[in-house]
Amino acid sequence: MAQATGIGTGTVELAAGSGLVGLITASYMYAYEPLADIPLVMAAGAMGSMVMLASTMFAGSLIYAYGVAVPFASAQVKKDPITGDRQDTYISKGTQGQGLPTICFVSGVVGAALGGAGGGLIYFVLMDLYKPLIALTSAFAVAGVFTMGVMYVNSVIPSYGVGGTIEGVHDPKFRRVVGKDVITSFFVSILCGLLAVLIAGGMSI
Amino acid sequence: MSDIKERSPNQLLLIGIIGGLLGIYLTYILPAISMRISGNSVIMQNVGELLNVIAPTFGALGGICAVLWGADAVRRVAKYGLGTGVPSIGQIAMGMGIIAAMFGLAIVKTIVLAGPIVALVTASIIGFIIGWFAQNVIKMKIPVMIRCMTEIAASGTIIIIGFSAAVAGNFEFANIVTLVFDNGVMLAVFWVGAVAMLHPFNACLGPDEKQKRLLYLAGSTGAITMAIVGIAATMTLGTSGVLTLVLGIVLWIIFYKKFWDEVYHDASSVVGTGLIPKTEA
Repeated sequence: MAQATGIGTGTVELAAGSGLVGLITASYMYAYEPLADIPLVMAAGAMGSMVMLASTMFAGSLIYAYGVAVPFASAQVKKDPITGDRQDTYISKGTQGQGLPTICFVSGVVGAALGGAGGGLIYFVLMDLYKPLIALTSAFAVAGVFTMGVMYVNSVIPSYGVGGTIEGVHDPKFRRVVGKDVITSFFVSILCGLLAVLIAGGMSI
Repeated sequence: MSDIKERSPNQLLLIGIIGGLLGIYLTYILPAISMRISGNSVIMQNVGELLNVIAPTFGALGGICAVLWGADAVRRVAKYGLGTGVPSIGQIAMGMGIIAAMFGLAIVKTIVLAGPIVALVTASIIGFIIGWFAQNVIKMKIPVMIRCMTEIAASGTIIIIGFSAAVAGNFEFANIVTLVFDNGVMLAVFWVGAVAMLHPFNACLGPDEKQKRLLYLAGSTGAITMAIVGIAATMTLGTSGVLTLVLGIVLWIIFYKKFWDEVYHDASSVVGTGLIPKTEA
């Protein structure tokens, strides 16, 4: 696992894990702060996701650095775009780099923020949609589960575009896949949103 | 490999759709029958009560049929190598399945009987669209992508509805919301259902992977899902839940034994190597 950059698990697991924690923090903000509006709920979601992913990466990095003793370096770039540290001399022969260089960590945290904010947005909108129609506890449950469904679809589809590993915004692959992934996620999310509105129509008996 | 007889995709599709929908609809029809006959005599009343008790269990049995179908669809598409691991496809299946299931069950309002079919059609459409995007926009170049994505979404929705019906007693949306969503059982159905579908191929993949072995494992994961759902149903429905739990465990033992035999059959030989020696020779 230490022979490649990043945390050695599927992209989906990380996206789902951080996204779900974002959902928890977003729903907490929604439930306990009566004045919470969309930006606040989205920020809470983003914060939860960032904390989750950052702590996952931090724990992984601790093991890589002090347990496996690998230097963090990426083969995709010569110098880390953030710290400017030289990468190529530290890479083991025949690998793509190892550990989590700063740029990967930052890219991951930014991505988690986007995911968490998106989850918070879906949750907020769905709650406003369902709250007048069914009991409050049911609205929480239905909106939460639906958000989870959308999140899973949206975390898997882009990872198919990536098809394997991606290190962050500095990876040449990023520019290649970001366009088509955004288009796909956009249309799939619109479809899900449409179904969510129609579900509300079905509740009002 | 041609000498090994495999179940064709269409055969499993029929098992999944017919078996799944039959199980789901029986949870609704059996109580209706029992209502009709129970007024006639004491014996009929007992029969009616019995029907009421066994009805929710059929939902879980329908779910197992869908697990078999879904696991085979996962097998066909994941053989090409997705680049993200097999678990991702189980999760997207449940993601699509749950959206379609909620939509289908909610949108029909009072025409409850149409719910599962609407959900199945919706899931197929979502799966088709996602498969189309994966094939033509993301350009994954997997020839069976569109068909398998459609099948996976459809089986995912049957799994969700089937196991939910086993917990809630039937598939009325209001009923499912109170008995499955509110208490969080949905998360268990979601996760355990996803694992039931993705685990068989994830565990069996490799050059000597065989469909028969995979299907037995799918049966056992489906049955263990049934057992877990049975625990939840004991909380919500009482006696029916116990029946689901016990039947789930029995089916699990049967399917797992079959899988075990199949593994022994496929292995060239199984030998005990003993423990690792304490000192080096």
